[in-house]
Amino acid sequence: MRPLLAWRRRALLAALLSLCAVPVPAQQNPVRIGSTLALTGPLSATAQIHKLVGEIYVEQLNKRGGLLGRPVEWIVKDDQSKPDVARTLYEQLITADKVDLLMGPYATGAILSAMGVAQRYDKLLIHHTFGIPSLAKYDKQFPAWSLGPDPGSTVPNTVFSALAAVGKTPKTIAVVTSKFPSLHFISLGAREVAKKRGIDEVLFLEWEFGNRDFGPIAARIKDAQPDFVWVGAIGLDGNLLIDAMKKLDYTPPLHFYVYPAPGPMVQSADANGALSVSIFEDHPPLNTPPVAAEFTKTFRERAAKANLPETSVEVQAAASFTAWQMLEAAVNGTKSLDDKALAAWLKSNKVDTIQGKLRFDGPNNYGDDLMRVKQVQNGRWLIVYPPEVAAPGAKLVVK
Amino acid sequence: MKRSVIVALLAGFALLAGVPWLRLPAFYESILYLVLHWVLLATSWNILSGYSGYFSFGHGAFFGAGIYTTAVLAGKFDWPFLATLPVSAAVATALGVALGAVVFRARSVRGELFALLTLAVTFVLATIVLNTPIDGGPGIYLSAVPVPHLAPTQPGTFYLLALVGATGALLIAYVVQQSRLGVGLFAIHDDEDAAEVMGVPTFRYKLAALAISCALAGLAGGVHALFISYVTTGEVFSINVPLTVILMSVLGGTRHWAGPAVGATVITALLYAFTKGDLALAGKATTGAVLIASILFMPQGILPRLLSRRPALAPGTAPAVVPSADAAAPSPASPSPTAAHGTTLLRASAVGKSFFGVQALAGVDIEIRRGEILGLIGPNGSGKSTFINVVSGHFPATTGQIQFEGREIARLAAHRIAHAGIARTYQIPRPFAHLSVRDNVAAAAMFGGAALSSPKARQEADHWLAFAGLADKADALPVALNLHQRKFLELARALASRPRLVLLDEVLCGLNPSEIDDAVALIRRIRDAGTTVVFVEHVMRAVMALSDRLVVLNHGQLLAVGPAADVMQRPDVVAAYLGTAHAAEGH
Amino acid sequence: MTLPSATLLAQSALSGLFVGALYGLIGLGLGLSWGLLRTINLAHFAFTFAAAYLCYQLVASTGIDPLLTLLAIAPLFFALGVGLHWLVQRFDVSPLNSLLLTFGVTAIIEAAIQAIWSADFRRLESHYAQAKFKLGALFVPVPELITLVVALTLSFGLWALLKHTDLGKALRAAAQDAPIAAAFGVDQRALSLLLAGTCAALAAVAGVCLSLSFTLAPSQIYAWVGVVFAAVMMGGLGSALGPLAAGIVIGVSEALTMAVTAPSWAPIVSFTLLIALLLLRPVRT
Repeated sequence: MRPLLAWRRRALLAALLSLCAVPVPAQQNPVRIGSTLALTGPLSATAQIHKLVGEIYVEQLNKRGGLLGRPVEWIVKDDQSKPDVARTLYEQLITADKVDLLMGPYATGAILSAMGVAQRYDKLLIHHTFGIPSLAKYDKQFPAWSLGPDPGSTVPNTVFSALAAVGKTPKTIAVVTSKFPSLHFISLGAREVAKKRGIDEVLFLEWEFGNRDFGPIAARIKDAQPDFVWVGAIGLDGNLLIDAMKKLDYTPPLHFYVYPAPGPMVQSADANGALSVSIFEDHPPLNTPPVAAEFTKTFRERAAKANLPETSVEVQAAASFTAWQMLEAAVNGTKSLDDKALAAWLKSNKVDTIQGKLRFDGPNNYGDDLMRVKQVQNGRWLIVYPPEVAAPGAKLVVK
Repeated sequence: MKRSVIVALLAGFALLAGVPWLRLPAFYESILYLVLHWVLLATSWNILSGYSGYFSFGHGAFFGAGIYTTAVLAGKFDWPFLATLPVSAAVATALGVALGAVVFRARSVRGELFALLTLAVTFVLATIVLNTPIDGGPGIYLSAVPVPHLAPTQPGTFYLLALVGATGALLIAYVVQQSRLGVGLFAIHDDEDAAEVMGVPTFRYKLAALAISCALAGLAGGVHALFISYVTTGEVFSINVPLTVILMSVLGGTRHWAGPAVGATVITALLYAFTKGDLALAGKATTGAVLIASILFMPQGILPRLLSRRPALAPGTAPAVVPSADAAAPSPASPSPTAAHGTTLLRASAVGKSFFGVQALAGVDIEIRRGEILGLIGPNGSGKSTFINVVSGHFPATTGQIQFEGREIARLAAHRIAHAGIARTYQIPRPFAHLSVRDNVAAAAMFGGAALSSPKARQEADHWLAFAGLADKADALPVALNLHQRKFLELARALASRPRLVLLDEVLCGLNPSEIDDAVALIRRIRDAGTTVVFVEHVMRAVMALSDRLVVLNHGQLLAVGPAADVMQRPDVVAAYLGTAHAAEGH
Repeated sequence: MTLPSATLLAQSALSGLFVGALYGLIGLGLGLSWGLLRTINLAHFAFTFAAAYLCYQLVASTGIDPLLTLLAIAPLFFALGVGLHWLVQRFDVSPLNSLLLTFGVTAIIEAAIQAIWSADFRRLESHYAQAKFKLGALFVPVPELITLVVALTLSFGLWALLKHTDLGKALRAAAQDAPIAAAFGVDQRALSLLLAGTCAALAAVAGVCLSLSFTLAPSQIYAWVGVVFAAVMMGGLGSALGPLAAGIVIGVSEALTMAVTAPSWAPIVSFTLLIALLLLRPVRT
């Protein structure tokens, strides 16, 4: 048969097989890892990053020989941004598809659902970006995002320390925040920490997540004339607020955003100088070690090909990669796929990841707080504090 | 009510209740839980919105109230989970009844305004929950709440709870549809004002349907709170729930008690068919395409389309809404001969009606005597139809009293006036468009003064349809009738409630001379059977032939009253109709 | 709470006015479609966002002024609107069924948008974004002002058209009683297609205005459904000015609430106001 026809025939066969949802039999018995992601729905903007990272990792892992000498197959399902769907799909993965290992979904709500299921079946659950450590009560869950067990006080403390390090402790602060569960408590923590440090709170505002009109909020901030604005923003809130402030010809001297969507913020000309927190950014020294270097390069290429507007690795991608690193390390460390053994191993060992060396023996399996302060400088996110991991020559810039 | 359906539902329940003991993988129990959960939610929405047409966009509010009640009681106050469920249902019901008590009285709130109101309630409730200690922002975490051990597995317990809820909802939906409440709701759906005037206690019925709907939604919420185990206002009060229940009910068929269940199953199945990662977007598009195709080719819904494959229904006919008797019921008695002929049946004193400054009736004194045929005439705009509307309760009188058989009925709710024994026809016929001709008349027999049970009502309907010459059209929909037939349907409907007083509003308008003769003969037979007749008419020869007495209105005021021949001679009456010049000529 | 300054209140009210105008602009086509065509067109939101994305893409690829993209986008969506309504007419789709139909269309469009542009956030970069001027002590941003002007012009224009021109009267007549209107020579089918196309074109205009001020994501389609439906139902179906007026009432009342007290209470004020207005409406009895 001519090569072209043979190719077509194979393509057709593959298409038919994938339609039948019958897994193409592998040469060897693969290790099957199952998870869900919000591939559609409001959370899909971030979840697509996790999908990409997972694909990259599994590809590279298989090139290295897979896990325990077996190829790795990642089964990912779409939970449509709905926690009840996530729960049901994790039950499917465990009880019907009978996967060997689990990987966590995105985001906090779905992770909680998955955690409940994992707990009932005594499965290990490594997850990427879970925002509320105090709710992570299952002993076999492990966070890849090192925000420490008490981000409500550690994150604000880190931020204020960063400011103090350049001699810019503010005298007055405005705390404005959305009531989104994963960051509301952090903003409330910021108020406490500010009070303890003797910073005067001139404005405190809360809005419901999904608010469209930031004009009045921006006007009130401008009126209050704070030295420092702490914005409890997630997703686009931060950008909407910056836009609204710009429309009033106002830029706060110092502004900090808890979990902004990184792409839109770094691309906005008005966000220059905005601060946030991160565990990893795509610049030295963090991206120098070979594993990180290779990953960031691959991610950039693949993200560009996937038409993602933002192609550099930051918190979400880094946490995602870390999660896979943890899984691989645990499996290699115990030479098994037994959830109990894996969990025990993680609790008593440290894992080398692109964020640094992680431990999991603290409250709720959280370890060190590795949140670093980053700033938008000339169209890039650069870590500016602590100095050991800051971009070379980068300092926290104040207008 | 077919006992077989109830037995089938209960049998189905008993069978499905055994599923958790089959030890299937937990995933199947959870999927079935979700299907049953949506069956419960969609059916509960349909009981109010599908049956009565009061399209609610706020089912999420009642569902959310149920979720948060259980979340707060179990999560913050450590109540045992099962104990919270009745409270969740009760809270949702209280919310719904409070809303309904205010909203259903306001006549302005119909159609899309009711939808807006329920949507607004959802936003208001969400904001309250978000800003008060009920939630306050962080959400409520329920993982520590113990799930009762009703089944071998945890998902199995949820499945059983949802099975109870869904079966209960289906039973209730069936019973409601087959009962007086159901017939009344369907009548409200087609023409609420006509239903009220016919004798349906519309306020009470709408409130009852809303209460049932909310109770079921609250129950669904209570169970779901523990299933998702982390409750946040953003998730709970999103537009997803209200939109999805509407889609499910419409897809399955809103006029059938099991329609929403079919829609819920189909849509949930579609949801899970495409969860494989690479199919996510294609799956979404395919789901959209399937929904489009379904509604284009099955506009009544999936279930009615499936059912219509069975024989029995000719095109242009409707399935019976008023259930038939299992056994033959005795033939209806004719209205009992009334008390003394000639005594006062109804007295209107100084009745006035104004609409925003337009005085349609002013100081009208009319006495209607038992057993007479009273003609009510006057030029256009003189207030004749308004008088009928006021007496029948379609509008409340602004001033004055109306005494009927000694009872004061002015400003009484229209359905009570109907129960007292007054019926009317509309000048432009207002049949219930989705009910068959027979059901239109049977509904009047059920809700009017006669207040018959449904088997008797069907018999009564057949009797009056024969009386009006419409027996062969009994199974047709009103749209298949011509004007003459529709007018006679109005008549049959008015008579089926066995009124002591019937008000006919231009029954002859649009009929040809031979039809008019038929109608005149019919009206005489009505009076001879014992019903007093007041009729508004312009066709003078019918007026002169039928009327014992005439009342003439002009510009909302009483102009003349007396025996027909005398009244028509009076110059002021002629002037009112034909102009002063003619009066002067002494016609 | 401290008493807010007059400037703060005025600036907030202005902000609410602008966002309310956008609600009204999006709702304009939706309300006309619902009132005059008996179609509850959920796909209106999908059209709005699809137009916004197309505008974004054209500007990103060719660098032309965003408002000029309407020359290409509006006719395209006019055609889409006509096509959709042809389907509705062909199958005689009832209002409630049209909700289901247009939900299906929305799902398809949302999937298409995500397939082409990914789920990530897209922001239109144009010189408009920075433009603003001062009116006394108040800042007036240009993109929002454009939206307001467009909303006012289209709403009043359509109102005038519906009320005073023969075409408008024919449309309203056909909506009220098609057979009788036909007896007077009104071609209801053709007029309906014209109106449906116009409503879709209005959605496109709203989309372009939206893209000037807001960041786009496919899932954002549903974020506007609740409040715009509220504005449309409040303003009156088939009304050209109603959605705008109601949208502004919602926007301003929420903005003033945010200026004066905790912003998270804002929806309560606007929607309680709505509920009260509904219940206290004078009625013919």
